[in-house]
Amino acid sequence: MSEADDRALLVRIARSDRVAFEAFYRVHGPALHRFVRDLVRDDGLAEELTSDVMVEVWRGAGKYGARSRVRTWVFGIAHHKAIDALRKRRAITVPLDELRDVPAATEGPEHAAVRADERRTLEAGLASLSAEHRAVLELTYVEGFAQHEIAEIVGCPVATVKTRAFYAKQRLRDALSPAENAR
Amino acid sequence: MTEHDIAELLPFYANGTLDAADRARVESELASCASCAAELRDLETLGASLRARADASAPAPDRIFDAASARITAPSAASAVLGAWWGAPARYATAAVLVLGIGAAAAAAYHEHAVQQGSVENVTVVRDTLMRSASQSVTAPKSVSDDAPATKRKIASAVAPAAGAVANAPEKKPPHLAKAAQLALLVRDVDGTLKRAQATIRDAGGDVTSLADTTPASADAVHEATLNAEVPADRLDATMDRLAALGAVQNRAINAEDVGDAIVDEEARLRNLRREETDLRALMDKGGKVGDILEVQQQLSDVRGQIEQLAAQHAHDTHRVATSTIALALSEDRPNATPAKPGPTARIDGAWHAGLAALGDTITNLLATIAWCVAIAPIPLAATGAAYALARAVRRRIASV
Repeated sequence: MSEADDRALLVRIARSDRVAFEAFYRVHGPALHRFVRDLVRDDGLAEELTSDVMVEVWRGAGKYGARSRVRTWVFGIAHHKAIDALRKRRAITVPLDELRDVPAATEGPEHAAVRADERRTLEAGLASLSAEHRAVLELTYVEGFAQHEIAEIVGCPVATVKTRAFYAKQRLRDALSPAENAR
Repeated sequence: MTEHDIAELLPFYANGTLDAADRARVESELASCASCAAELRDLETLGASLRARADASAPAPDRIFDAASARITAPSAASAVLGAWWGAPARYATAAVLVLGIGAAAAAAYHEHAVQQGSVENVTVVRDTLMRSASQSVTAPKSVSDDAPATKRKIASAVAPAAGAVANAPEKKPPHLAKAAQLALLVRDVDGTLKRAQATIRDAGGDVTSLADTTPASADAVHEATLNAEVPADRLDATMDRLAALGAVQNRAINAEDVGDAIVDEEARLRNLRREETDLRALMDKGGKVGDILEVQQQLSDVRGQIEQLAAQHAHDTHRVATSTIALALSEDRPNATPAKPGPTARIDGAWHAGLAALGDTITNLLATIAWCVAIAPIPLAATGAAYALARAVRRRIASV
């Protein structure tokens, strides 16, 4: 979806157009929900927060200043809500040792089983990262944001984003290496 | 640029968002740095894994949107968006509505005040209107009041076309009758009867929807009251019988309207619209181009609007069938009631006001006379002076002669 389409939808939402609101959700809702769920790692909370983000879009569509892309703006809202919820819940990152005990897939020739095992390992590695590191990984590799956009979304300097992206990848590799070595 | 600087830029080189200058620097470094190239391959693998994981993740459930949608029923920040050009008219419109509202409230308060002053005439008008509508609904109210089967026949004749349709197609549907009853009673004690009538309606599982009871201005005036209520349809006849036993029946009537066809039609249309809504939602979940999504979205919105409108109408019709209305008019049984006469206090009050009015008239007339004199006085004074001067001149001439 182009930026012009996004902005056209926001203009219509600002005029209380529910059709545009639902279209906006159909376009951005899935990615927002995935992003929030990866940050808070709680399905119920993620649904609640994504719904909050959509309500915020409805209320704030008229205040959108067009200083950044619509996606950047809406992901900024989602990040803020997720981090805020995590702070309130004092979420604890899962200790790495626990994650290494995740049952491995049955050893065998089936490629699917191996891939499932890889996914489970990746999941465990991501779970061991802080929410800030997960956010930067997600925004960089899945959502494809530029460094200055990520800085705007997470509310920190560009230099911090670059550092986080670097260390997030390092930590993930560190988390995955023992598991890989163990196999 | 150090290797660490390059390593920090690599994630954004991998996702294709670096600006031209940084991209050129990274590419230059990659050409000569084997470890940087290896790092880039690692990042590309990581990115592919994360994207595959995202693609395989569970879709966002519809309840997220439903929850958000339910919370945005209040007006959005639209007024803030549309700017000052909208803000001012909105304020004027709000002010106009407030003025009209206050005016209407004042008028209603005045009307209510007038009624509470004991103007029995108003109640009489209401009663007469009620009586007229009741008498128009049946040609022989007395026979209806005395004979319950006759009442049922009257209902049957009122819905004759629908009943005929049912006879031709008996498997079609039972009639759905929306009933409205009127009852006018002469009673000895209006207050007591009103309380018993309310208790009767409550016992039947009904509710009083409006009540007008005006205390008469004088002991001689007739006490009257009206009451409107809703009762479950299957208890209408029994309730009417119990209410009729509270006094002497002056008028009793029941109107029935068959809304069965309307209800069946509404249900069929609702089923179709809900099926259409399900299909459209399925179509939308498949995704596609933005233009297509918007078009389907528009259709979905239209269908939902029709469903809401139809569901409200259906609920209204169903309620009318399930609940019958009763309009009860009570009138005090006093054969020789005469119009109220003014008492001694009222007569003294009238005399005092008449005296004040006469005094006011007198003062006004006096002031008018003085003003007239002031305006006219110079003319006779001048005439008198001229006559005096003439007479004096004449006398002097005579004296000199």
